[in-house]
Amino acid sequence: MGAGIALVCARKGHSVLLMDANQAVLEKALNYLRSVLTKDVEKGKISEQQKSDTLERVRLVSEMEKLADSDMVIEAVPERLELKKSIFGDLSRICGSDALLLTNTSSISITEIAGGLPHPERILGFHFFNPAPVMPLVEVIRGKKSSEENVQAAYRFAEELGKVPVLVTDTPGFIVNRIARPYYNEALRILGDNVARVEQIDRIMKQAGGFKMGPFELQDMIGIDINFATTQSVYNDFFQEGRFKPSRIQQRMVQAGSLGRKTGDGFYDYSK
Amino acid sequence: MTTANKAVLLAGDSPLHAELHQILTANGYRVISLAEAAAEPEAIILALEVNNLDLDAKKEQLSEIDRLLAPSVPIVTTSLAVTATEAASWTRHPQRVCGFGTLVPLAERQLIEVALALQTAASAIEATQAFFHSLGKEVEIVEDEVGLVFPRILALIINEAAFALMEKTATPQDIDIAMKKGTNYPFGPLEWADRIGLDEIYAISRGLQRDLAEERYRTAPLLRKLVLAKRFGVRSGQGFYSYGQKGGGEV
Repeated sequence: MGAGIALVCARKGHSVLLMDANQAVLEKALNYLRSVLTKDVEKGKISEQQKSDTLERVRLVSEMEKLADSDMVIEAVPERLELKKSIFGDLSRICGSDALLLTNTSSISITEIAGGLPHPERILGFHFFNPAPVMPLVEVIRGKKSSEENVQAAYRFAEELGKVPVLVTDTPGFIVNRIARPYYNEALRILGDNVARVEQIDRIMKQAGGFKMGPFELQDMIGIDINFATTQSVYNDFFQEGRFKPSRIQQRMVQAGSLGRKTGDGFYDYSK
Repeated sequence: MTTANKAVLLAGDSPLHAELHQILTANGYRVISLAEAAAEPEAIILALEVNNLDLDAKKEQLSEIDRLLAPSVPIVTTSLAVTATEAASWTRHPQRVCGFGTLVPLAERQLIEVALALQTAASAIEATQAFFHSLGKEVEIVEDEVGLVFPRILALIINEAAFALMEKTATPQDIDIAMKKGTNYPFGPLEWADRIGLDEIYAISRGLQRDLAEERYRTAPLLRKLVLAKRFGVRSGQGFYSYGQKGGGEV
């Protein structure tokens, strides 16, 4: 997601250091930026000059020390607590004490990432939705020790990026991934209890409910493993609150490797 | 079916009542209330019963409809807060009872769910389907469980939003914006609840908890209290938001 976030920032005129320890990842990110901006030129959305200016604003770096002078750092590594904690430990040491340190996470507690680090008041959640250049929402997440001043600064930054920010306290799943759980979980329960079939439930939620996609086609698109992991994380972080109890149907599909579109089979068959 | 001069008995205090009255009239049906029905029971071709919050009233009105109408006349009852099977069990002719579930506004509902009680006879199913088709709605037949599919899933989403609001996780505005902009919901859950009626959502949530008896279906205390305070949403001037003044304030 890092490349998408870098694109969002560079398009709005910010100079961006795109950092990854792995050179191949950086090359791939740069190719992505080039291809998106080239399409923008072809569609007449931006000029050739704007494209090269935007690309020039992005510098690729592979050592974290290069981030020492940044006013703001957005971390977007995979969702593993230990990895995030170690990165924020390094950033706390490398960056100035007033640099805003933001984590793009959908499920990890900001308070836990910041716990024990110096200046936890500048560590906040800044959750983009996939794909970052397209989806307008950013959840600005207030950790236990985040300062109000920094929360407001992050909120304004999201607005400057042309995004729609919302403020949320550090609770499992924040807003979207918490409140959206029943869309999947209750659909799975209804399926498991044989109240209706997959195709019926999808049709009902679209034609009776006005949702753009049914819960099962949406799980197939997101990836059933990703969806299941989010549910498990919210369930566990709420100390096994019954409202979030995961579905065994979903668990079996993950165990079978039927993960949705990406494997060719999920709730629907994509092999043909 | 041709609808000219055909009379439908409409009873119950769900927010669906007013909209069903309108859509029935618009489609050429004559709408008869329960009080009027005794005068001409033989004119009635189908009865619609839509009580959800007050289950004593539901039971009483279903029994009365059952007494008034010939056993061949279908009774179509909302199965939002009880199963169709339970509603049918309250009548002497359960084979003519069929469940259905939808939420206002009906203009946004291209499709209506119908649930068969264990007792429902094939003739009642056919009549119910034909009836909803005559109102211009598609029908999806599902198995009988409280809240059917769409009302049940949406009630749980709204209930979760009410928990999040109660806990001050975010403002109602931010909760609604997040669900529209982060995951493409057609409405935010709290504004949606205010349009549907919090009493209707509470009736579904309480019905699921009553029948399935799991913590999963626990009603958010804020939702229950708003309903007890008669803050049903847009139609009562206050729900999760306040109406009447400019915009909408918070609770």
